[in-house]
Amino acid sequence: MQDKITKLFKAIADPTRREIFHALLITSSALSITEITNQFEISRQGITKHIKTLEDAGLVYIESKGRERFCNASAKPLKEINKWLKFYEQFWNNSLNNLEDYLNTSKDS
Amino acid sequence: MKDSITKEKLFNHPIETVWNAISKGEEISAWFIKADFKPIVGYQYTFISKPNEKGCTTISGEVKKSDPYTLIYTWIVADTKVETIVKWELESIEEGTKLHLEHSGISKYEGETAIAMFESFNDGWEGCISLLTDYLKEEIDAG
Repeated sequence: MQDKITKLFKAIADPTRREIFHALLITSSALSITEITNQFEISRQGITKHIKTLEDAGLVYIESKGRERFCNASAKPLKEINKWLKFYEQFWNNSLNNLEDYLNTSKDS
Repeated sequence: MKDSITKEKLFNHPIETVWNAISKGEEISAWFIKADFKPIVGYQYTFISKPNEKGCTTISGEVKKSDPYTLIYTWIVADTKVETIVKWELESIEEGTKLHLEHSGISKYEGETAIAMFESFNDGWEGCISLLTDYLKEEIDAG
């Protein structure tokens, strides 16, 4: 599990990879490595490396059709983290309000 | 990517009062969760929410730093084995005390565990919190 998260962080830490991920996320259909390469000023080899890192993190999955490889984005790993962040956001807000009430009622008298 | 939650809050109370509220077991039990807690480095603490028919969530961990006015402990929900870190920092200011809270490592919750835990939290945890809130209200009303 620790390993998985390290991969996710590694994948998302690089600005180019974030751009590639974003480009995949906003297109309705999968993009081939060639199409992605055309959008960025990086070699095909460089793009392939970035895609591999994103794939390792579960952010991209690849389908092979003939000679081309098509990339799809998956935001699921990020959504799960987001769910937790939202939960704890609410949890700590409530808790700190409770702390405030506690201090105001029990310490002011 | 964000991996932590940070909160800041001002309290119109002296730093010592706020420090006691967040670090003493009996005070934590009064406003937060029923706690077996001591502000001693290495202390294995347990937070137990009030039981309901579903049973309640237990949070456990170890005190990593307790150095007025910084308190750090690990935070493990039930038997998830997912260790996150909660850090409380207090700062004395003119109006009273500024609290800086940071809960980090949240991205460690992943996959099936995350979904299952999230659902059990929704069922059980909020129930526990509202029980606690009711309890606190009764206490205040009675007092």
